[in-house]
Amino acid sequence: MSHRHSIFCILPPYMLDQIVQNGTSAQREMAVRTLATSQRVRKNRIDIAKAAMRSGSFSVIGNVKNRVVYDARLGTSLPGIVARSEGDTPVFDPAVNEAYDGSGATYDLYAAVYSRNSIDNKGMRLNSTVHYDKGYDNAFWDGQQMVYGDGDEDLPAAQRLFNRFTVSLDVIGHELTHGVTQFEANLVYSNQQGALNEAVSDIFGSLVKQYQRGQTADQADWIIGEGLFTENVKGFGIRSMKAPGTAYNDPVLGKDPQPAHMKDYKTTSQDNGGVHINSGIVNHAFYVTAIEIGGFAWEKAGQIWYKALTEKLQSNSNFQNAGDLTFEAAGELFGLGSLEQNAIKTGWSEVGITVGGTPGGGGTTPSGDGCLKGLMQALGLSK
Amino acid sequence: MMRIIFERTGGFMGRTVSLNLDLTNLPSEQAQTLKRLVDESDFFNLTEQPPNTIMRDGFNYSLTVTKEKTERTLHLSERNIPNGLRPLVEDLIERMRK
Repeated sequence: MSHRHSIFCILPPYMLDQIVQNGTSAQREMAVRTLATSQRVRKNRIDIAKAAMRSGSFSVIGNVKNRVVYDARLGTSLPGIVARSEGDTPVFDPAVNEAYDGSGATYDLYAAVYSRNSIDNKGMRLNSTVHYDKGYDNAFWDGQQMVYGDGDEDLPAAQRLFNRFTVSLDVIGHELTHGVTQFEANLVYSNQQGALNEAVSDIFGSLVKQYQRGQTADQADWIIGEGLFTENVKGFGIRSMKAPGTAYNDPVLGKDPQPAHMKDYKTTSQDNGGVHINSGIVNHAFYVTAIEIGGFAWEKAGQIWYKALTEKLQSNSNFQNAGDLTFEAAGELFGLGSLEQNAIKTGWSEVGITVGGTPGGGGTTPSGDGCLKGLMQALGLSK
Repeated sequence: MMRIIFERTGGFMGRTVSLNLDLTNLPSEQAQTLKRLVDESDFFNLTEQPPNTIMRDGFNYSLTVTKEKTERTLHLSERNIPNGLRPLVEDLIERMRK
């Protein structure tokens, strides 16, 4: 686990974005963040940031997006041959461009909103391979890179169930997030820990899509894998965070097996103990929290989960731990008993998990009592 | 007599699919092909690979072959299928898609 935030109370960059109304380019946000997180300029960092942005006298330190997309040419050797590198113009192959743009969009969310420099937070190169294997209905993270199959593009159109896996931006965000989790909480990939690992990937995968589309929580579709099914399938996606268990119901593929509540938790030996099944419970808790808070989900709900993922969750954390630790993170970021902390509690409660038993309590360690909230109030940005 | 049970779980979708083939019920050409692929893979003497614990969303396979009175099950992760076994696994995957 990394503990980048040695300063206990720093402004999340989305707040800086709100404070410094000078446009939204990732570069500007990063510059502001660089200044804001520097211990030497804490006192007047906002003024300094504003001045720096006006004069353009800042530099973006270390945060450079570096993507390479490879083509496996329907084989299984990785990574394959280089098809497009950082800065190259688009190629004629849409799968290559989707992997390039999608990994870029994912990098951008992590960098601009969570101040994270790539998968390992050290600028790791984002390697993706497309056209993996023949008839490969899947995408995966192999521990070092993202890999995407072409679905059933080798079959006649009438027989196809899956499109190529790069068509869905949240799938790309999902895979890349497996890398982030590997470098952070490193949740074990089985049973509840594994389902939590999967949920983290769905959550941030969905946030990548919402961020790119500029959608608020109530505008977002909360679908994972939208566009992966061909028109031959009765379904709108692989999973629904809004309504787990409803994404598809098809004669060939069967019915979406995801539960939305602990009472329907599925104990199984398949799928590493149902990691892609029981993740629906956590996904739904996040959805409810985001709706409760309102606005852009990547801001507050995402910020709480990012803090939990990078500072609190352990490899053996289960759903209850995730509930307790996100509740704690919300208390530290927004204050005990804050709307945000209550939204976390409501989210978990909706799926049958009780956190923070007493009002404003429940955290296991003393928290910062909402220094962010206090600062916002001081700046007149919040009541 | 030969029976092959092949199961795929996991993947991004987490969907489990399986095949249960009694070779005596298959057209003889198909049965011969599968028998040959099993023999060529040296299935009953293959060393089981340690599971791949770092991969996420990969497929996991379990392959059980019963030949006369001998039965063996191998658990395979997507990226650690022994090369000699690949032709058999690929044949079975193709069958599952149909």
